[in-house]
Amino acid sequence: MHCNMRGDRASVDKDTTATTAPGTGTATAGLRDHRYPDGTFAALIATPFVTAPTRAALQARMDKPPVIEPRFLAAGEFALLGAVCDHLLGETGERRIDVPGAIDARLAAGTTDGWRYDALPDDGSAMKRGLAGIDETARLMAGAPFADLAAADRERVIAAVAAGDPPGETWRGLPARTFFEDLLAAATESFYAHPLAQEEIGYAGYADARGWQAIGLDEREPREPEPVAAAFATSEGRP
Amino acid sequence: MSRAPFAPSDEVDAVVIGTGAGGAPLLARLASAGLSVVALEAGRALDPARDYARDEEAQGFLFWNDERLSAGRDPVAFGRNNSGTGVGGSTLHYTAYTVRAQPADLRLKTEFGVGEDWPFDYATLEPYYDEVEATVGVSGPSPYPWGPPRTPYPLKPLPLNGAAQLMQRGCDALGLRTSPAANAALSGSYSSDGTVFRPACHACGFCQAGCATGAKGSADVTWLPLARAAGAEIRPECFATGFERDAAGRITAVVYRTPAGEERQRCRAVFLCAGAIETPRLLLLGGLANGSGQVGRNFMAHTGIQVWGQFDDFVRPFKGIPGGLISEDTHRPADADFAGGYLLQSIGVMPVTYASQVARGRKLWGPQLRAHMRGYNNTAGINILGDCLPDAGNYLELSDEPDARGLPKPRVHFTMGENERRMTDHADRLMRRIWEAAGARDIWSFPRNAHIIGTARMGTDPERSVVDPDGKAHDVPNLYVSDNSTFPSALGANPALTIMALALRTADRFLAKRGA
Repeated sequence: MHCNMRGDRASVDKDTTATTAPGTGTATAGLRDHRYPDGTFAALIATPFVTAPTRAALQARMDKPPVIEPRFLAAGEFALLGAVCDHLLGETGERRIDVPGAIDARLAAGTTDGWRYDALPDDGSAMKRGLAGIDETARLMAGAPFADLAAADRERVIAAVAAGDPPGETWRGLPARTFFEDLLAAATESFYAHPLAQEEIGYAGYADARGWQAIGLDEREPREPEPVAAAFATSEGRP
Repeated sequence: MSRAPFAPSDEVDAVVIGTGAGGAPLLARLASAGLSVVALEAGRALDPARDYARDEEAQGFLFWNDERLSAGRDPVAFGRNNSGTGVGGSTLHYTAYTVRAQPADLRLKTEFGVGEDWPFDYATLEPYYDEVEATVGVSGPSPYPWGPPRTPYPLKPLPLNGAAQLMQRGCDALGLRTSPAANAALSGSYSSDGTVFRPACHACGFCQAGCATGAKGSADVTWLPLARAAGAEIRPECFATGFERDAAGRITAVVYRTPAGEERQRCRAVFLCAGAIETPRLLLLGGLANGSGQVGRNFMAHTGIQVWGQFDDFVRPFKGIPGGLISEDTHRPADADFAGGYLLQSIGVMPVTYASQVARGRKLWGPQLRAHMRGYNNTAGINILGDCLPDAGNYLELSDEPDARGLPKPRVHFTMGENERRMTDHADRLMRRIWEAAGARDIWSFPRNAHIIGTARMGTDPERSVVDPDGKAHDVPNLYVSDNSTFPSALGANPALTIMALALRTADRFLAKRGA
């Protein structure tokens, strides 16, 4: 296995970070935490609950070695993309889901997801210019390239780009808010497509070769594990 | 009867471009009438049982991924949202939510003085709705709680998943009527005249990533087997690029590209069924059927705002038919400050789709993103499907940026009008109340506009429309359009069922005139 989720489980279970964006929510969040036990995916993938094409697709994703030499981005751009993805995805462990490698591979292949904002240039140009913009903003706001910044400064830079008005000449020709939305969406999609990220959120939907019979509220089938975070399981087992 | 295979040099009765909801029913109808027909499909022919993974990323091949440029103040997402490729077209990844339009939807201008009326009434569509529902196998409630009485659905409703139960709970508390929705996925094993025997839906929830079992009523397991059995030829990986015409303006051949090179199929008539982006794109590329200047105009997208919440209950939102529950009490709300109306739909969701919307809609990253996503199993949504008024400022044009084929990419301009904004606000308030009543926390809204409609509209006036009420181009004697581009108004209903019904009608009108 070439990648893993970070292992600081105890601290995450106490995570009460408000996930409510200003003005959009009605209550605190971080309430639910339904990660599945380590090894859930490895155990389920071998069972008849997973169809052959599903097993092939997911196992290939698990086994894919991390990209070392980018094919589209320059080495420096690729390292910067890695630092940005780490921050966006909260990846702090030694081994990570290879989101930057997946993004570089897609740019190298020239495949798109079917559309882009007309306000942005083509995906490859947008990525190169946006990364340059992030580094420029980092130098202007914190005096060093993004990858050299501590977490708090990285957060200030990312927040400025996300808000759409970061300092830097680069952004005169590239709408920062729109670029950031696309980058965050691409990174998030790639991350949660990985079986181990899906294990973290308690997803077992790939194990459906025989379908689901228990589909209603608070219903669980035997092949779906108990969540690890039992302290949160207030409603499990309710009639 | 003429039967496949045909040679490009054979002059076939008709070429059908596209095998989705607009092309497939029509192909089956024309072939069954004994016509020699060839369908050109840009995408591949795949075997779902062998080729479909139960995984969102791996199924990305189902979407029309040639890049489109989205402009305007409310740019519309394409790709996985709106259009598909492959033998079966977008029906391969539609949610199978097969709600009928209500009679009033076709008379928006008469009722409100805005938008457009359709050139015929609900009674014209009704027998075709009946036929489509029987052929694709719709599971739904009988009697249906809203609108005029209808023929009972061929199958009983599918079971409710967690999101549907929660919406029911919230609507009950507010006094809104709900019902299990009509879905073209089988609640029991089924076949109808001439179609293959199909198994019951086993609730895997992957409708939008392709049905691997054949339980969903996509064109590849319904209309297209009928068409083949009747002698139609379906050619995958054939991308239509243009037309040859004679001195009188009649189309004599369709030009298309295959992996082996360019071909042309001689024909007596053409049915363009490529969807509301590729259909006007092809017409604009060829300078065809555009005497009205209306090709590409009046682009519409349904108001489709979603409201999400997290619950104490375990939802496990990947299970079951995604759109399990409906309410049409909002079709003409008493307190509306807008024309038209919308329906309410419960929504389950797969993890990557949800994560993507959290990224775009909430802009959460880092620990906040991870914490929010750990509540995935307790997440449920409601969304609306609302009418959209045609507007001169919303249109498709050809850009000067070439795609991989060397053809100009389409650019689509879309900005919500005052009517769409008011309807969205009304729905946002109501859905938040429903979720509060159902016990949701961390409620958030994701405004969006879905489905692509109206770029080659039908009407009786050749100055204001591209095709006549039969789907025939005003300007070209043997060109028909059959897809969502002909809709004069958007309807407060998901489009697939109506596209299929309209396709059968267009085929019948063509056959009637041909026989006359």
